[in-house]
Order: sequence, then structure tokens, then C-alpha cells
Amino acid sequence: MDRARFEHLLDAYGADFRRWPANERVPAEAFMRENAQVLAPLLDTAGALDAKLDLARSSPSPSAGLISRIVAAAPRARAAPRRTNYAPAGWALAACTLLGVLIGYSGGALAAPSADQDDYFAAAFEAPPTMIDTGDPG
Amino acid sequence: MREGLRLMIDPDAETVRLAGAGDVRAAETLVRRHLPKMVGLARRMLNDGAEAEDVAQEVFLRVWREAPKWRPGAAKFETWMHRVAINLCYDRMRRRREKADPDAGMEMADPAPLAGEVWLAQQRAAAVNAALAALPERQRAALALVHFQEMTNIAAAEALEISVEALESLLARGRRAMRAALADVAQDLIDDADGASRG
Repeated sequence: MDRARFEHLLDAYGADFRRWPANERVPAEAFMRENAQVLAPLLDTAGALDAKLDLARSSPSPSAGLISRIVAAAPRARAAPRRTNYAPAGWALAACTLLGVLIGYSGGALAAPSADQDDYFAAAFEAPPTMIDTGDPG
Repeated sequence: MREGLRLMIDPDAETVRLAGAGDVRAAETLVRRHLPKMVGLARRMLNDGAEAEDVAQEVFLRVWREAPKWRPGAAKFETWMHRVAINLCYDRMRRRREKADPDAGMEMADPAPLAGEVWLAQQRAAAVNAALAALPERQRAALALVHFQEMTNIAAAEALEISVEALESLLARGRRAMRAALADVAQDLIDDADGASRG
């Protein structure tokens, strides 16, 4: 911190070091202590302007009506849709599926075509000998 | 000049998230926390109480629009709100210039009879606000944010979308102009008050 830097910051931020950049406050206070006599008039001038500006610091509180209007315009959570309970139907579906699989598995094994059945199907496509028209009347 | 390491912990982040999800209590918390600052800033920028409330309301309408999709990012929520407010004020000042309304931004102290001290305080505040209103708008905004809103230099620079160096230049020029403007005005008011009390 040197005098030029100190004056630059004083011109910008005023006499209250709390408004100064955080990383400049400690060096500025040290520089101020070391050069109090020279810098005091500059700080007084800046402090006088701060005080004048502070004459306009107070501001009327926002009206209750304004607060209500703004809050009324805030987003509202939508009511959650009614949840239908699908659990019993789900269990029933799962049970049916399982039953079907089990029946299919076991029934399939029982219904596996046997050699006899092959013969039966083969016979179904053969005309019985009695129905063969030989052209012989009799 | 930049501050080195900066923690980006946004004290509003959770409240904004809740408000965006429709939590009315969170929305009211945000309003009570920030509305006075928004009105105060707009009032200093526009020097008009009614317009300041309009601007503050518009800021919050934008907050409600943005809150559901708000993600903590480079700037704090409060800094973003200040930026929105400043830009809305710039818009209104531009419209005033286009309309060339000579009375705009010339808010006077309440004319109702008041006790001497209260009257004097109002006159002084009106004088300071009138001097602020006469500043170029960017200088006015810089002073409003740093002196009255007490924002850090980095937050104020972010709100104005300028560098810290540019902010310091605006502040220095604004303070110089205010010193010149208030040198006479404040003393006149003090003399008036002394005269009134003697009379």
C-alpha cells in the first residue's frame, strides 16, 4: 500500500474501511496508522461525504399490500395426483403368470408326443381298408 | 484487483429451491429478506417511491419464473436480483428520456406539516436523493450498490456486469460529483433550519 493506492481506494469507497476490498483493509489500516497525520484530512473529507450520503439512508418499508401481492404471485406446488393402488392387480397378474409357466412346463412334459400318438396321427391320414372303392359291386 | 479465494456459498440457494418447488413459506421468506433492498435500490435509482415498488414487484415476478430452474452458479442469487433490478431501472430511465418527462424522478419530501427535526431530516434526504438522481445512471448505480446496499466490490461489479476497476472509476467520479452537489445544498438546509429556529 502506498499513498496513491490509498487515495485511489479512499476516493472510490469512502472513509469506512468496511466498504473497502477485503484484501486491502489490513494494509490500508496499517498504512493509515503509519501516516495518520498526513492522511487524517483526506479521511475527514471522505467521511464528511459518507455522512451526507447517509442522510438518505433510511427508506420507507415496503407496504404490507406489496408483500401480499408478490407472495400471491409465487409458484404453488400442484396437488399430487391421487395414487391408484395397483398392488393387488399386480400380484394377481404375477401369480397368473407363474401358474401359467408352471402348468405349461409340467403339462408340456406330460403332453410330449408318444410313439403311439405318432401312429395315431399317421393312421388318421390313411383311409380305412373298408372304405376303399374297388369297383366290385359285391 | 480481485479478492483471491472466494467461497461461493449462497445463503439463498435452498430457499430459492423450495420456493421454486411451490413452497409458499419459502417464497415469503425470500420476499421479506430481499424486498426492502430491492425497493431501496430502485428508489435510489429512480427517486420515485411508486415506481420503485413496481420495479421490486417485477424483480420478484422474474424470481418466481426463474426459481424452478435456478442452479447456483457463478453469481449469488442476491447479486442476480440486484442485476435484474438495476436493468429494470435502466429501462425505466430510458423510457423517461424518450418521453422527456421533466417531473420524472423528482420526488419531493412529504409536504404535510412535520415537527422541525423530522422535516429537516426529510429535506436533507430529499436533497441527497435529488443529487443522486442527477448523477449519470451508471455512477448512481455504483454508489447505490456499494454505499447504500453495502455490497462488496466484487458483487457490485458482477451486478453491473463490469470489472472491479471500472466500478472503482464510477464510484470515484460519482463521489466527486456528490461532494460538489451537496457542498451547497446541505449547508443551505442547515442555515434554513437555524433561521427557522431563531424566528
